[in-house]
Amino acid sequence: MIPLSWYLILAAALFCLGLYGMLARKNAVAILMSVELMLNAVNINLVAFWRYGDPNQVVAQVFAIIVFAVSAAEVAVGLALVISLYRNRRTVIAENVDLLRW
Amino acid sequence: MDFITDHLLTFILFSPVFVALLMLFLPGTEKQLLRWTALIGSLIPLLLSLVLWFQFDGRATGFQFEEQAVWYEAINASYHLGVDGISLSMVLLTTLLTPLAILASFGIEDRVKPYMILFLLLETGMLGVFLALDLLIFFVFYEVGLVPMYFLINQWGSPKGERKLWGNVTVPARTYASFKFMIYTMGASLGLLLAIQMIGAITGTFDLLELYDVWRVTSTSLTVFGLSASTVKSIAFWAFVVAFALKVPVWPFHTWLPDAHTEAPTAGSMILAGVLLKLGAYGFIRLVIPLFPHEAAIFAGALALLAMLAIIFGAFASYGQNDFKRLVAYSSVNHMGFVVLGIAAAAWAARNAHPEHAVIAMNGAVLQMFNHGLSAAGMFFLVGVIYDRTHTRDLRKYGGLFPLVPVYGGILIFTSMASLGLPGLNGFVSEFLVVRGAWPIFTFYTALSMLGLLFTGAYIIKGIRSTLHGPLNREWIGHLSEINGRELAVIAPLMVLMLWLGIWPAWLLGVINQTVTAIFG
Amino acid sequence: MATETLIWLLPLPPLLSFFLIVLFTNRNKLLSHTIAIASAVLSWLAGMVVFARALGDDFHHLGEHPFESAINWLPTGTGAFQIGVRIDPLGALALFFVCWTVLMIFIYSVGYHNFGQPEGDHDAKGLPPHGATVKHDGHSHTVPSVEPNYSRFFAFISLFAFGMYVLVVSDNLLTLFVGWEIMGLCSYLLIGFWYAKPSARAAAIKAFMTTRIGDVFMLLGLAYLYAQAGSLSYSVIFSPETLDHLAHESAVGGLFGLTAAGLIGILLFIGTIGKSAQFPLHVWLPDAMEGPTPVSAMIHAATMVSAGVYMVIRIFPILAAGGHHGELTPAMMALAAVGAFTALFAATIAIAQNDIKRVLAYSTISQLGFMVAALGIGAYIAAAFHLMTHAFFKALLFLGSGSVIHGVEHGVLHTGDHSVDPQDMLNMGGLRSKMPVTFWTFLIGGFALAGFPLVTAGFWSKDEIFADAWFLYSHDGNGWGLFVLIVLALAAFLTAFYTMRQITLTFLGEARTEEARHAHETPWTMTFPLVVLSVFAVGIGWFGIPDDFPVLGGLLPNLVHGVAYTLPEEVELAELVFSAVPLIVSLAVALLGLLFGWLVYRGYRAGQADPLKKSLGGLHTLLENKYYLDELYHATFVRFSEWVSETLTYRWLDQGLIDGFLHTLARIANWLGTNLRDRIEMPVISDGADALGDGVKIFGRNFRLIQSGRIQNYMNLVLVIVVLFGVLFYLILQ
Repeated sequence: MIPLSWYLILAAALFCLGLYGMLARKNAVAILMSVELMLNAVNINLVAFWRYGDPNQVVAQVFAIIVFAVSAAEVAVGLALVISLYRNRRTVIAENVDLLRW
Repeated sequence: MDFITDHLLTFILFSPVFVALLMLFLPGTEKQLLRWTALIGSLIPLLLSLVLWFQFDGRATGFQFEEQAVWYEAINASYHLGVDGISLSMVLLTTLLTPLAILASFGIEDRVKPYMILFLLLETGMLGVFLALDLLIFFVFYEVGLVPMYFLINQWGSPKGERKLWGNVTVPARTYASFKFMIYTMGASLGLLLAIQMIGAITGTFDLLELYDVWRVTSTSLTVFGLSASTVKSIAFWAFVVAFALKVPVWPFHTWLPDAHTEAPTAGSMILAGVLLKLGAYGFIRLVIPLFPHEAAIFAGALALLAMLAIIFGAFASYGQNDFKRLVAYSSVNHMGFVVLGIAAAAWAARNAHPEHAVIAMNGAVLQMFNHGLSAAGMFFLVGVIYDRTHTRDLRKYGGLFPLVPVYGGILIFTSMASLGLPGLNGFVSEFLVVRGAWPIFTFYTALSMLGLLFTGAYIIKGIRSTLHGPLNREWIGHLSEINGRELAVIAPLMVLMLWLGIWPAWLLGVINQTVTAIFG
Repeated sequence: MATETLIWLLPLPPLLSFFLIVLFTNRNKLLSHTIAIASAVLSWLAGMVVFARALGDDFHHLGEHPFESAINWLPTGTGAFQIGVRIDPLGALALFFVCWTVLMIFIYSVGYHNFGQPEGDHDAKGLPPHGATVKHDGHSHTVPSVEPNYSRFFAFISLFAFGMYVLVVSDNLLTLFVGWEIMGLCSYLLIGFWYAKPSARAAAIKAFMTTRIGDVFMLLGLAYLYAQAGSLSYSVIFSPETLDHLAHESAVGGLFGLTAAGLIGILLFIGTIGKSAQFPLHVWLPDAMEGPTPVSAMIHAATMVSAGVYMVIRIFPILAAGGHHGELTPAMMALAAVGAFTALFAATIAIAQNDIKRVLAYSTISQLGFMVAALGIGAYIAAAFHLMTHAFFKALLFLGSGSVIHGVEHGVLHTGDHSVDPQDMLNMGGLRSKMPVTFWTFLIGGFALAGFPLVTAGFWSKDEIFADAWFLYSHDGNGWGLFVLIVLALAAFLTAFYTMRQITLTFLGEARTEEARHAHETPWTMTFPLVVLSVFAVGIGWFGIPDDFPVLGGLLPNLVHGVAYTLPEEVELAELVFSAVPLIVSLAVALLGLLFGWLVYRGYRAGQADPLKKSLGGLHTLLENKYYLDELYHATFVRFSEWVSETLTYRWLDQGLIDGFLHTLARIANWLGTNLRDRIEMPVISDGADALGDGVKIFGRNFRLIQSGRIQNYMNLVLVIVVLFGVLFYLILQ
């Protein structure tokens, strides 16, 4: 059987990838996608811990499903914001949007 | 009518305030209206005090027309008014001089409304002191009088002149004078306030009539802060004395006076010299001697010494002036010295079984207060008249004005002579009584104060010499007009009273004498 | 009318006249002088009626029951101070001479002030008139012009007359003092009548201030007496009980071992020294001659200066209280010394004066000294007698001198040379023929002053003084008598001498200037009073001839002697016995003095030096300059009091010491406030709060930079902090 650590390393790598993407990419859509990556990394963790932990418990699966739902909602709202942003400011580059600056 | 006679003193006291409130609603641009309102308004207390005068029972002793109402129950201070012969004469003086001062201020063009209102408030402040029979009320009115006078000097005082303080610091003269007047007087009243509070704390009352009985016999076993009763009383005594001595003023507390009198507007000087100075002397008579008979007798010698110095140095300083108004101002120091000398003599004599000397000295002192009120107000007014025309007070710039202003000249000589104490005019009677009363008590001081009386002559003559006599200063031909009808209306009542009191002083002295005899006789 | 009522009313007409003129009629000269003279006539009439009733009552009876009436004036405690009127023998005599001289001087003033003459060309108010040019028959000439302040003059002398009447009719020392001071004021106003002249102004002030020195002492004396006796009414203070009390009470403070009576007497007497111009307060009287001549006559000869002597005569019982027969009390010694010295001192100055009025002024001082000295040796009657005769003849002399001046001024106006002083006797001479009435009356007055034997009043009164002095010496062996006799005899000799000098220089010989040549007699309003007064200057003496005088004694009733009945019976006067010694002295000094005066000056020519100058040399210069007393007083008292006033009291004490102290207080308060502000308030509290605010501000300004508004920056930060905290937790949890 594949040891748990492999799943965890995969999830960590995926999370780091997502984190990097979120911090480094300029395109707002790409940032959104990176966030999804990070969420999925968490899901992997959840599922892996369920499988290697107490399989009778379904809490992890429920959590994973809630994460799916949240991320779906997030993508819906996030994309709507990006489109609105593009309509207003003709850009989807995150750096150019600094309205909350001091 | 009964309501009015029952509350006559309250009506006298507050009618000026009422008129002042009324004037608040008059337009500030209608100067004539404001002036006449103030004048007629100030005649109300005069009429009421004449009613008071005629209803006053000259044979009864003690206070009359007493009124008492709850005022500050927690500390037993009440609104308690009353008059006796001494305060009656002072009330009459105040209500007489205020309309005259207001009439004398008809020439004021600048901010007439606040000016007149301040004057009326001032009248209430002064009357309150003379009418109060409660220490706290007394003190309140004593201080209230300061405020309008401060503004009158500060705002309407003579615009010219600077006073060098130290180094290169100079301030406008009227600022200096008003500030000195205010700070000096208030500083001295601090002790008075503390002493009053101490008396109130010890005896539990502020009512004068009660205190007359209680305070002077306050038990000797009493201790406050570990001090014996006699020490406490001495401290309180000196607190009272300093406050009143400064107001009188007694040498060496007098230097605020020439400044304030000189810089004040003419009417302000009239009231200042005519009435405000009497508050101090009245304080001695009403509070110091009855409350502290023992201490007063002990320290009477010191007080007499200061009075003598006031008489002498007042006369000398007056003679040394070249500013006409300042000369007249110093004459007040000189004349009020006689008041204090009389009071000191009376204080001593009353305690040492010489009631006949005490009565005469005190009669003289009170009469001198009244007389000085008339003559000093008259003198300041006459200085104001000539200042209005020449815009200078420098005696050296006048000269030989008699042919230009014969009527004014005659009036000036008349008033000067009243001030000098010429027999046949008012000042003589009171000065003689004071000298007569003080001679057996303070022989040496009385004898020395004759030096002051001699120089009274010198400075009065100096004033007349420099203004009226001598070669005519041709500069003034065509610039100096004769005294006008309004000004005559101001000075005429004063002159009539001066003559009347000189020839027949008994009408006023009788009332004073009755009270004084009841106190000392 | 009851006599008492009449006495009450007697002083009032002049007062009424004063007020009427001042208030209403001052623009109308005719009306003003009519009112004034009418008032004087009324008072005179009342005075004569009172005098007649007093005489009819006979002085002995009057002395015991004087006309008196009093009212309560000042309430003092349970009692009252009374004032009232009283005419006793002394008062009656004083009233007599006052009424006459006042009335005469009022009339004289009309002429003196050129009533009826045109207004002057360049006359200004406050200056003497300078004359007016009138055109007559085509050519113009200058005539005297009317006084510009004519009405005012009558107002003032009316008030003055009121004061004198008050003084005479008073029954107490306080109203006497009232009249005394009113006269002092009028004296000031009248000496300074020509107030625009600096010299007149200075003289007026000098008179006022000098007499005031005496007055304040007198006030003390009154206060003392009142305190001791409880009253100032004559009837009380001269009662035996009071006198006894005063004589046995020692003076307050035990001053010089005096009794109360002695100290009171001396204090009151100092009032007289001022008012009656005795040494050392005599300096004002000669200067007072700056006033118009009627003023000099009335105030400075007949009435006001006499009032001083009148007062000491009044208080004689007090002065003499405690003394024994033939002995002098200390107060009397003071009187005798001052009086005798003044009499001689002033007479020496008088011989060297050239101003016709100044001679008379010094003569007045000297004669008043006679009276004071007489009183000092107890010669009560003689003093009162001399007071009365002197009032008449000195008023006459002053009016005469005014007439002379007027006449010479006429000459000055004629020649137009205003540099000629019309008062300088050296510019006169030969006026006898030009002004006969003035000459004869002046001669009578002068002889009366010199004491020309038997005829004149001055002889009788002066002789009486000598007789008293001699009696005191010969009978009681008191050396003061001899001293006073010798000094007064010397003074009397000088008096006769300077009187004759004056008459000779003025009237006799040839006119020495063109102006004197053109002098002419003055109008009847001026000469009539001269004639009337000259009658009294002679006749009044006959009513005071001692009864035991050889031949003449007892021919006429000795009215003057009746003055003695004024005194309470306890005060004893010496009963004189006739002696030839004082009579011979009196005759000798008068006649020799007159003779020498005539001999020395009869040959005096214009431009010559005064003959006395040659014989006296430096002494004459000293006399001419009045012993330099004026200069001395000015350099000491006047300068000193100015220094005390301006520098010591005002600059040093008030402005320096007291205000300096106050300013120091203010400065300390100011310094304290400034320092609190500069050291604590501003740097610590205010700046501290500011620094806090500024710090926050700076921090915020710098720290806000991290708020870039870029989401990725924030995320980076979050990452860093999470890592940081992770590490931190890791380390801590270890």
